[in-house]
Amino acid sequence: MSSITRREFLKWTGAAAAGAALAAAGCKPATPAATTTTTTAGPTGPSGDQAYMAIVHGADPAAITEAAVKALGGIERFVQSGANVIIKPNMCVNYSTYEYAATTNPTVVATLVRLCKGAGAKRIRILDTPYTGDPETAYHTSGIYDAVIEAGGEMEVMSNLKYAAYDIPKGRDIASWPIYRDVMEADVLINVPIAKHHGSSRLTLGCKNLMGIIDRANQFHRNLHQRIADLNTVVRPALTVVDAVRILTAHGPGGGNLADVKETHIVIASHDIITADSYAATLFGLTADDIDFVRLGAEMGLGEKDWSKVKVEEVSV
Amino acid sequence: MRQGTQIAFLALFVYLLFEAYQGRAAHPWTDVFFRFNPLAALTAMLSARSWIPRLGLALVTVALTLVAGRVWCGWVCPLGTLSEWLRFRQTRERAVSPSPRWRTAKYVILVAIVAAALFGNLTLTILDPIAILTRTATTSVLPALNAAITGAERMAYAIRFLRPAVDLIEGTLRGPVLPTTQYYFAANVAVALLFAAIVGLNWVAERFWCRYLCPLGGLLAILSKVAPFRRVVGEQCNRCAQCAGTCPMDTIEPAQGYASDPGECTVCLDCLNACPRNGIAFRWRWEPIWREYDPSRRQVLAALGASAAGVALVNSSARASDPDPYLVRPPGALDVEFNEDGFLSRCIRCGACIKVCPTGGLQPSGVQQLGLKGFWTPHLVPRLGHCDYGCHACGQVCPSGAIRPLTLSDKQTTVIGRAYIDTNRCLPWADNIRCAVCEEMCPVPNKAIILQGGGEGESAFGSGGGIGSAQGAPSAPRPYVLSTRCIGCGLCEKRCPLNGESAIRVYSPNEPPPPNGYA
Repeated sequence: MSSITRREFLKWTGAAAAGAALAAAGCKPATPAATTTTTTAGPTGPSGDQAYMAIVHGADPAAITEAAVKALGGIERFVQSGANVIIKPNMCVNYSTYEYAATTNPTVVATLVRLCKGAGAKRIRILDTPYTGDPETAYHTSGIYDAVIEAGGEMEVMSNLKYAAYDIPKGRDIASWPIYRDVMEADVLINVPIAKHHGSSRLTLGCKNLMGIIDRANQFHRNLHQRIADLNTVVRPALTVVDAVRILTAHGPGGGNLADVKETHIVIASHDIITADSYAATLFGLTADDIDFVRLGAEMGLGEKDWSKVKVEEVSV
Repeated sequence: MRQGTQIAFLALFVYLLFEAYQGRAAHPWTDVFFRFNPLAALTAMLSARSWIPRLGLALVTVALTLVAGRVWCGWVCPLGTLSEWLRFRQTRERAVSPSPRWRTAKYVILVAIVAAALFGNLTLTILDPIAILTRTATTSVLPALNAAITGAERMAYAIRFLRPAVDLIEGTLRGPVLPTTQYYFAANVAVALLFAAIVGLNWVAERFWCRYLCPLGGLLAILSKVAPFRRVVGEQCNRCAQCAGTCPMDTIEPAQGYASDPGECTVCLDCLNACPRNGIAFRWRWEPIWREYDPSRRQVLAALGASAAGVALVNSSARASDPDPYLVRPPGALDVEFNEDGFLSRCIRCGACIKVCPTGGLQPSGVQQLGLKGFWTPHLVPRLGHCDYGCHACGQVCPSGAIRPLTLSDKQTTVIGRAYIDTNRCLPWADNIRCAVCEEMCPVPNKAIILQGGGEGESAFGSGGGIGSAQGAPSAPRPYVLSTRCIGCGLCEKRCPLNGESAIRVYSPNEPPPPNGYA
């Protein structure tokens, strides 16, 4: 009987591993079964004379972003020194610059990076999953890459490894979903949607923007609005800043016609994602009740859709 | 020095492989190995019946070969380099070589390829060495490598203290080096086995592929027959046979006074170092050499005849007349004056477009698309990857002009197919469930998919299935595709949330698209 040498053993193991890798290339890996809970600080209400929601008008996107955050009590209300921050803008396509209003204004994002940096944040990452095109190109084309790097932030290409199944105990339709772990474990999540028209959901705003940090986003569309609301019960940004410097009024979310873009020169900010979304809907002549995910979110107690009940600071700079 | 050159060219090949990843603007020299490839140039130009300027650089290789022999094989060709490195110790120890008659095979293959090209068929260009290496790397090695790395990372990620290390790898390599999407190719295992066979044959003889099979080697060998710069054995030779033992092409023949065939010599110069008496030199000598294994007229005619019969057979198979209805070509492949046959007569099956496609949607055709006539030509499989609205890389890298280079804005209006909705399966149509993913995804500025009908706000909600449209008034708006706007990019098909086959599918275009696309 011939015995197997170590060399032979390694050879065959290597060959088997290479074969397995080839075979693996032909089948998609299953979603990890781990179920975890978030450690991100959720939204907290204002104290003292801080505004509940800020609406700032003005021609300079940096100035209005800064003014909006200031009206809420400054960035220090949300970001502590040494914090690990994730900023989630909308970078959904790789073929349009920000002038087409399909992606968030780079200046708004960069201003938030600067503010966080000023508050002593340790790490500031910006990420999204484009629905078409590779993330690197989308990051660059949107103009956000350059603006963020210059402001001292970090662009992260989202890694498939980092999705983990999270329980959604308050979900009405979904009980768990794969969500990006780093977002759930960051100290602070800042949500920076652009307000725009959307074929499936009428508008995409703060709540809908969070679809960029989940896996299998396609499957959400089977019951889109309820699932967006369900997702918002576990993903809780400390701050939502709606970019309405330019809004896309038709043919969203991809756009592509400058004729569909309206320059509104507004930034809306609140810790309450429902309040911010409710106000943003009015820019399109709609109300919170017209946008099912906002209506459902309010119904499920995620926030206040009637901003007449809260302290709103509206200024022009 | 030769090894340095080989390493440099192999490194260039690998660099371009990665540089052409990920939808960044395609590197202008992505296809450089094909541009200098005389076999690609000869076959494409014969088949297309026209001069293809981009492949004109192949004349440089022709000129080099006419002067100094198969320098390409010994110094440049990355497949040759790999074949030289991946050899077996036992092969040389055995010191028995197959009959030199086998060398004829590469000439016969060459004649068959060139003859087929003359008859307008390029299927056999899949045997080009650069194409083989590109294909192996693109469809089997790189996807498997990514799967292996991702798999290892996934295992490590489960262990908490290893996570920072994995994050570091992901943060630095994911994007620039590793693809952000896993690519999948149908025949990946077969392609890997073919490459393994080429390596495996080295067990029979060193550089087996280069000696006996390579059609590009055959073409260069014919040119080398008259190359004046060649190996010459001097008077110092005392028949010690050291040189013959070291020649990787085994072309130093003791029976011929240790002379060699310039058609087989790759000018590797190993024999220079092996000779203890300095009896070998590379010098100018004008004298064509003919060997008994060089193809006879009868063999050439037989290859020609077989090739003609093969092309006729391929052209008369059923699929050639009735192509797969889902056969969608890359943008720039077809238009009014440039039909499917025109595309096929130029596509050299090199796989450069498949390599750069950032979504992994461009796939090599099997026989089920167009029979052997279209074997290994590119077609789009949207469910695997759509034609990205922000990318026009395939036309930029096509060496033979089978896919014309389009500007991004031209590409965005170029019609490559037409999407149709399967109303028996589409959620709003079949189950009255609200869904507008296709409309949402459509990248055409005015949307080629519109939603109509249905009542706002009172839809049949929930994932449990609504009332079928036959049983009641439909409340979910239904998608329609506008034929004058759809460009066939397939993003709708890619993203349709149904499991399995999409409820919206892209078909071959119904008619040649207008020259500048639809408005």
